[in-house]
Amino acid sequence: MKGALSLIVKIWKHPQGRVGLLIAGVLVFCAIFAPLIAPYDPYDVTARAEKGLSPSWQHPLGTTISTGQDIFSMLIYGARVSLMVGLITGILTALIGAVMGICAGYVGGLCDTLVMRVVDVMLVIPTLPLTIVLTNLFGKSYFMIIFIFVIFGWTGLARVIRAQVLVLKNSNYVKAAELSGAGRWHIMMRHILPGVSHLLIMNTALSSAGIMVAEAGLSFLGLGDPTAISWGKMLADAQSGGALLFGHWWWIVAPGIGIFLSVFSFMRIGLALEEIFNPRMKRAGAMHRLFRTLNNTYIQKVFAEMDEAEREEAREAAKEKGGAAV
Amino acid sequence: MNKGYVIKRILYTLFIFLIVTTLNFFIPRIGVDDPAERYYPPQGNMSDVEYNIIKDLTRKQYGFDVSTWQQYLRYLNNLLHGDLGTSLQAGSPKVVDLIADRLPWTLVLSVTNMFISVLFGMLYGTYAAWHRGKWADKLLMNASTVTTALPAFFLALLFSLYMGFEWEWFPAYTDPSLVSSFDWSLEAIGRVAKNAALPIIAMSIGGIVSYAQSTRNSVIAVSNEDYVVTARAKGLGTKTVMYKHVLRNALLPIVTSLGMSVSGLIGGAVVIEQIFNWNGMGTLFLTANNTNDYPLMMGIMLFLSGVALLGNLITDLCYSLLDPRVTVGGGRR
Repeated sequence: MKGALSLIVKIWKHPQGRVGLLIAGVLVFCAIFAPLIAPYDPYDVTARAEKGLSPSWQHPLGTTISTGQDIFSMLIYGARVSLMVGLITGILTALIGAVMGICAGYVGGLCDTLVMRVVDVMLVIPTLPLTIVLTNLFGKSYFMIIFIFVIFGWTGLARVIRAQVLVLKNSNYVKAAELSGAGRWHIMMRHILPGVSHLLIMNTALSSAGIMVAEAGLSFLGLGDPTAISWGKMLADAQSGGALLFGHWWWIVAPGIGIFLSVFSFMRIGLALEEIFNPRMKRAGAMHRLFRTLNNTYIQKVFAEMDEAEREEAREAAKEKGGAAV
Repeated sequence: MNKGYVIKRILYTLFIFLIVTTLNFFIPRIGVDDPAERYYPPQGNMSDVEYNIIKDLTRKQYGFDVSTWQQYLRYLNNLLHGDLGTSLQAGSPKVVDLIADRLPWTLVLSVTNMFISVLFGMLYGTYAAWHRGKWADKLLMNASTVTTALPAFFLALLFSLYMGFEWEWFPAYTDPSLVSSFDWSLEAIGRVAKNAALPIIAMSIGGIVSYAQSTRNSVIAVSNEDYVVTARAKGLGTKTVMYKHVLRNALLPIVTSLGMSVSGLIGGAVVIEQIFNWNGMGTLFLTANNTNDYPLMMGIMLFLSGVALLGNLITDLCYSLLDPRVTVGGGRR
């Protein structure tokens, strides 16, 4: 709990992360309190005779052409689907990716071969068509869609985790734990998992962002839950409902901006986390700033900086080695 | 090239393909005892007797009257003869023929899109890398976060609204007679170009930015290599170093990464094709989905997976040609 709080503080201190946190916070607020914020019932297709209204004070984003639903209220309710599908899928993907990656990397042998073969197969199968087939087979509830996204989402992460675990496996502290008789399960939970946790947290943010786009695409194709209001489905309704024909741009732009903001905020948080966890990225950022100020002699400066960084790393490595020897 | 490595890669690709075909065979059979129920789901107004007759007919027609293993072997045998199955559409067309009809139309979109993305992406990425930290580079940095967060289908809708309906630059929906009236005349080609313009613009914006981003990163990474330092230290001019030492090496990984995106070339345009009503593989797949045409859906899936595998294989082999180090360690990981 304390760790999570300090992480949020760290993201908040990162200028790009702060933008992401702010936007994501507003979206989560909208999603949770949607019934209180939305001025009308977005599912209401009968009460109003005013169809296809332009934006006004009564209807900030107008109403839909065929059914007269309030677009602003639909927009707020749409945040629920996008965030729910994105976040739940991101977290489950991280969990399964972690288990598979750690098993493949640490246990090795048959386990490794099996997991990596499955990853290879999954990477070849075209995701969108298979998702369409599976929703056709098993129904279009959001539970099913999340399940399918998770089944296909963990492969990339498992590869990354496996590579990192292979490095950790040969590190001195894992060797020491093995020598002192720690069990496999203990080592995986206490020594390996903390070593890859930064990858997991980062991946949750970034893959949630990717899933939100994918979910919008599925809903747009009419393959999402037909009873819920989602941004992708709003876009599909706008297209089939004549928004293009009548030039009702607000009906298209509103859900588009919703999708954009949710994906953008999660990507920002993910990238901020990447820089927080990976100091070398920070150094690259510093280099970038350097280029901006000194662009004539930048190459020499960069080389000097790189040399310095390398020397520093070598020194650190030597220190670590010395420490281990002692 | 290492011969053993090539043979190993090809055998491995075949092995993965076998697994994919097996999955492909069993997926429509999940959850039903009789695949005939999948092919012809019961209708509301049909009595049990009538439905059983239809099921029997379907079973015979599609060879479901033998055991699952025999069906599977027959399926593999058909695949070996290049037969992906028979569609449920009226007139029972072969899935292969349907794919062959639609494939060129999808390729018109995706190949043009890829060409534009790679060309402009590389040019812009190189420019941004050469002028690091200036406006072009900053624009790229900002554009890449924006375009990855903006789904291509949203852009497509906006373009369709403005360039299609409001300003009438390009047709917002594809002319339905485009395919049937195509006869290789200049006029017909021009009409295709006009109809394809909006989908291609919508698709290529994201592509240009992502290729520009990876080109920029690659160029910057290469310009930090030792041999570039050496070239600079020899006193060569900036232009010579950039063209001869940096660009050549920086663009190689980008070119080889093209192989990886081959499957996206064919299957990646489902939503865009749907928006513009373009007569390609994507709309074929969606129609198959809406009519529960399982043989057609699974045929397209298998085709796409096969193309993806082939693309990966070719990329791997090209990689080993360009960078002999990968054949030593037993493959690129």
